[in-house]
Amino acid sequence: MNEYYLGVDIGSISTKGVIIDNNNQVITSLYIWTEGNPIVAVKKLIRELKAKMPKDGKLLGIGTTGSARKLIGLMLGANVVKNEITAHAVGTLSKHKDVHTILEIGGQDSKIIIIDNGVVVDYSMNTLCAAGTGSFLTSQAKRLGIPIEDFGELALKSKNPVKIAARCTVFAESDLIHKAQIGYLKEDIIAGLCKSIVLNYLNNVGKGKKIREPIVFQGGVSKNKGVLKYFKEVLDAPIIVDDDSHLMGAIGIAIMAKKNKNHQIFELDATDVLFETKGSECSKCSNNCEVLKIYKDHELVDTWGNRCPKGSE
Amino acid sequence: MDKIKIGIPRSIPYYYFDKKWTYYFEKLNIEVILSPKTNKKIINDGLNYTNDEMCLSLKIYMGHVNYLKDKCDYILIPRIENYGVADQTCTNFLSLYDLVKNTFKVKVLNYNIVLSKRETEEKGFIKIGKSLGIKTSVCKRAYVYAKAMSEKDKKKKHLMNLKKLLSSKLKILMVGHPYNIEDEYVGLPVLKTLEKLNIEWINAYDFDSSITNKLSSKLSKDIYWKYSKELIGAIKFVEDKIDGIIFVSSFPCGPDSLVNDLVIRKINFPYLNLVIDDLDSLAGVETRLESFVDIIENAKAKS
Repeated sequence: MNEYYLGVDIGSISTKGVIIDNNNQVITSLYIWTEGNPIVAVKKLIRELKAKMPKDGKLLGIGTTGSARKLIGLMLGANVVKNEITAHAVGTLSKHKDVHTILEIGGQDSKIIIIDNGVVVDYSMNTLCAAGTGSFLTSQAKRLGIPIEDFGELALKSKNPVKIAARCTVFAESDLIHKAQIGYLKEDIIAGLCKSIVLNYLNNVGKGKKIREPIVFQGGVSKNKGVLKYFKEVLDAPIIVDDDSHLMGAIGIAIMAKKNKNHQIFELDATDVLFETKGSECSKCSNNCEVLKIYKDHELVDTWGNRCPKGSE
Repeated sequence: MDKIKIGIPRSIPYYYFDKKWTYYFEKLNIEVILSPKTNKKIINDGLNYTNDEMCLSLKIYMGHVNYLKDKCDYILIPRIENYGVADQTCTNFLSLYDLVKNTFKVKVLNYNIVLSKRETEEKGFIKIGKSLGIKTSVCKRAYVYAKAMSEKDKKKKHLMNLKKLLSSKLKILMVGHPYNIEDEYVGLPVLKTLEKLNIEWINAYDFDSSITNKLSSKLSKDIYWKYSKELIGAIKFVEDKIDGIIFVSSFPCGPDSLVNDLVIRKINFPYLNLVIDDLDSLAGVETRLESFVDIIENAKAKS
């Protein structure tokens, strides 16, 4: 019987799932929108992956990563729950053994990971704001009335990208509106936007980091050809974008679930379990923590967000 | 006559004087009211009384003053302009007195000392006592007592910190001001997360400041903030005993943004730069800490 491992990467915008075998080969994968509800998204993901999984195998490990990793980890009974930095590094290293720099731009996070001899030695993540990430691109695409999927192609058509303030997306947006109103071509504006994402990333997240080749670019935004073009142009270096670049986190966490020795046979029945969360403001002291209670089949299984034990009563 | 009540905000200067003031007033038979640990209400009140540009720590300070304003006769706000020409304090600290005076209708107990003009801490303490109508000789005795007691506390803390360096766990030096590190809302969640990750954290400020102050010159001779100097001096002091450094600062801290950036360029250590603003969600901080711990664990396993 074949042995399989499931990796789930639940981001703010999209949810990714892969099933790998013992040789780290992707058997099947799925990429769907999170749409603000990770529980529903993961249930849908699991249902479809389960249908696609070969019938001759058994699932021995589940790993979760991404911003909803704790919630989904609990829901699926995962044996590995890890942060996305480590997961992305492990996933990328499985395909590109000599990688030095990983550029990653996701929905609300952007990060840079520096790897030396196969070990993560440094990383940096966007700090307080989500400037220059995928969610900004998506909202601007909507504003301009262009499907986000066509965004990159359109940017490539531009011969003269407009200059857009790269420091802060709030300024970038007002710049953008201004440029549109005085009559610049749509593709030039889009190209300018892609370039501003690159400059913003390098000025904030990439500040002070030594970007050495080989460079791998991943995360949802790596599928945007416009952003890729300007990364190549600004860094003056070849940049690798894997076909599975959007799945690297999920692949990485699946590999970690495989390496973890706590194997058990998973049935993937989470779709039948009623999983609920209730958020409330605790009023037992003046901290007023935002407490999130997690119920599995109406039974309280965990409480998050409380700073003291009173919140979990 | 009722006892005089003096309020001490549990914020910025408190963490440098610790219980010295409490010992002093205790000896003078004056009641001290210390504001509680920072909580959500204190932060929200602080935000209401400050403008956006101020740093998170100042906002928290104002919240603490607001808590105390109706509960005591005076609020104590010392102002120490410097500890010598090369040992300045942050300009924000100097503004506390005026900020509070202009925001709240409270009586403020204040003393201003400039150590570079040969003034002493003792003089400040006595000035306060005298303004409350207490004889100089009594004040002097109380100060000697308070100083001795707080020295003792400090030594105990330093010893504990040194002991932590012997731990067999992974060790991380926390480079951040005590009013941030020890604050219930700013630094403590970070420390708790590190404990969960089985990390021994060591406070950069809990070392003998006369040693760390001098050592700072090995990283930079240009820094003139006393507290920043002591923090970065600690890096040199323990550099062969730790596995990583976490810089913790409140947003937007002027001195930290300069000093940390300068130091980061000169050290050869895994480091994490955490800037904390008033954010309720700890998820972002946790992700960053977890990843950082992964990195130093890997680095250690490799060596």
